[in-house]
Amino acid sequence: MTTPIVENQGDKEAVSSSAGLRGSDRASGGQPDGGRRRWFGGRQGRERKFVFGVMSPMVFYMAIFSVLPIIWAIVLAFFDYSARRNGGPVVGLGGDNPFVGADNFGQMLDFSEERPLEVRQFHLSLKTTLMFAFVVVPVNLAITLPLASFIESIHQRMRPVFRNLFFLPVLTSAVGVAIMWGFIFNPQQGLLNGLISQVRGQDTIIAWTTDPNLTVLGIPVALLAVIVAYIWQDLGYNLIIFIAALQAVPQSMKEAAVIDGARPWQLFRYVTVPLLKPTILLASILTMISAFQVFDLFQVMTAGGPQDQTRALSLDIYESAFRFQRMGWSAAISVVLFLIVFGLSLVQSRLLSSDWEY
Amino acid sequence: MRKTKRSILGAMLLAFALIMAACTNDDESGGEEPETGSGELSGNVRIWTHQNDAFNDGLQALADSFAAENPGVTFEFETFDYDTYIQTLQTSLPAGTEADVLQVFGSWTCSYADNLAPVPESVLTTADADSAFFEAALDGYKCDDQLYGMPQEFNIEYGATLVNTELAEAAGLGDLSEGWDDWDAFTADAQKLSEGGEGDMTRAGFMFTTADALPYTFYSMIVQQGGSYLSEDGSAFTINTPEGKAALEQMTSFVEAGLVDPVLYNDEANWVGDCFFATTCAMGVVGPWVVADYKDDFPEVAAAATYAPLPSMGDEPNFVADSGWGLTVSNRSEVSDAAWAFVQYAALDAENALEWNAAAGTLPALRANAEGDAATTLVEGFPQFGPFLDILGSGQFVGELPDRDLLWYDITYPHILSALQGNESIDDALAAMEREANETIGG
Repeated sequence: MTTPIVENQGDKEAVSSSAGLRGSDRASGGQPDGGRRRWFGGRQGRERKFVFGVMSPMVFYMAIFSVLPIIWAIVLAFFDYSARRNGGPVVGLGGDNPFVGADNFGQMLDFSEERPLEVRQFHLSLKTTLMFAFVVVPVNLAITLPLASFIESIHQRMRPVFRNLFFLPVLTSAVGVAIMWGFIFNPQQGLLNGLISQVRGQDTIIAWTTDPNLTVLGIPVALLAVIVAYIWQDLGYNLIIFIAALQAVPQSMKEAAVIDGARPWQLFRYVTVPLLKPTILLASILTMISAFQVFDLFQVMTAGGPQDQTRALSLDIYESAFRFQRMGWSAAISVVLFLIVFGLSLVQSRLLSSDWEY
Repeated sequence: MRKTKRSILGAMLLAFALIMAACTNDDESGGEEPETGSGELSGNVRIWTHQNDAFNDGLQALADSFAAENPGVTFEFETFDYDTYIQTLQTSLPAGTEADVLQVFGSWTCSYADNLAPVPESVLTTADADSAFFEAALDGYKCDDQLYGMPQEFNIEYGATLVNTELAEAAGLGDLSEGWDDWDAFTADAQKLSEGGEGDMTRAGFMFTTADALPYTFYSMIVQQGGSYLSEDGSAFTINTPEGKAALEQMTSFVEAGLVDPVLYNDEANWVGDCFFATTCAMGVVGPWVVADYKDDFPEVAAAATYAPLPSMGDEPNFVADSGWGLTVSNRSEVSDAAWAFVQYAALDAENALEWNAAAGTLPALRANAEGDAATTLVEGFPQFGPFLDILGSGQFVGELPDRDLLWYDITYPHILSALQGNESIDDALAAMEREANETIGG
């Protein structure tokens, strides 16, 4: 172990401190600015200054735009808060925006026939969101992983073409994507119905996104339409992650498997996929998180219809908060959404974790 | 390391404290009154409006002429796109950071009334307001019999239907501008304009299944029969009534007659403005503002667009309407005299109000501007206003509802649409609407 060069007293104490000698705090107590000199003096002090310098803006940014809103949402979840009402003197809490304890969360557990409209909408939107996420994640992975493997297997010159082709939708505005898919699914002027009409040889009008009675395996077709649009846009993101991971798979392992007689499918199934487990975990968590947060596609493509069949939690949060001014209720749903995503991420990481690295 | 954590924690607490301080109500910000109080107005009046070029150009012109007459007064306009504006109002009013004059949609006024200034008696008494403005345009600005602003427009969505005259002529219907004697005559004509049937409709004869049109039609039909969807003291909704049932049955009959397929035509697909100007619907329930909105993109269809009065389920062409856009003043305004003088100048002075209506393409809130030369001027500029000007007096305010948007978009629209689509019986829809509506007032 090398001994750090000691330049001055301040550094000496800093080294002691970094070695875990807590007594140095007390040792400098008699000097008015000894602690400060110790902390920022010398070479390590300069390093600390640099670290503080580069980290402070991000720490402030995170504190103000991430941590505080989360704290504020958690606080609001315990109040019957509406921005339209004048509450107490401190940030509008209290007064006409009373503290209601865990009432908002309690209401969410009301499954009776007479439960209020907002509770029914919450239950419906929770079901819709779970359905959306649990379809999107496996379908996305089932497409992107083989596709990435395919792109990696083709001629080197063609790879960037495919990579860019599939990544382009990621760069597109979600609103633009929603409008485009809305046009494709339009019952009268839509491309899809036009294509079906051509194939069938007669005019076909199917209300893909507006018929509440249209379902496949219990999943509303309107929701499937949004899923198709979402996967189309999100595909490239996971594709790039998998391509990067595939490039990192040691060639020696593949060669060893080939020497052992593995066929291409066996190579993919028993060598590549297990080695990609950490990447699959990352991609599935990221996809799951973003699937729970999708808002713009639902808002623009279906506006939650037909009959609330595509009312996702994010849409329910937005409508409750900004359309109907039930900020407290909306914050409680946000907290629940946060807990769901957090819980599912933990479960996923537990299920897909591996004990080794390559 | 511990000290680093302490520093970061300290910094976060400081940031939190600063933000909390910024968000805290400052009730003592009344400040000094910069106006002279000697009758001469002065001060800088901040005005907030939503982004609508026609509206704002008209208001700016009035502000310019007011400032020319009152050299001590200056104006500062701040505009926001619609969604941002609503959120800005909702957050800035409780925080006390709003402008002096606020453009507000009348039906929202009471939800902001805690932070708005009542109209001073010296400016306008409630009795004078009642005689000057149409009831439907004004009543949204009244909260507990106290007036909080003045309307500039009459917001109308029901009473007459938008008609494509070219399609009507092609169907051999001739001039429809006089309307129809009864619903049977109307249905017969609308049937001739429909193309295709349930499941394969390519043109709706009468499109009334949007999130706005369904509630306006339904509640208007109730009041036409002499009914009411609110109890007398306003403490409960009374939707599941014989009048409500008759209204819903009448609306269902339109679907059964093949005037519209509510699965293909609703608020999510083939919205009335879109389908009318794409000629996939021939008639539709929507306010006259839609023509101004679409005419640049569809000049030929706009030229063929006119309005025809709809039949009534009673003796009078009664209808319900929201109170439209108007002007209010913040109760924290430091230049309230100048602000009220401007509101009076823009909304109550008949000539100025007409100038704004003509610039904005809106129906007048002032009774005086719906008749005589003023009416002629408006109809010359906006021919589609004609049928509406005759019925404005039959309009009644939707009522001081606990949450109008919730009643309209999350209760009435989905249940009626579901009933029209055949997924809910009329009785079930009425019962559900009444129950859910009463939940909003805890009834």
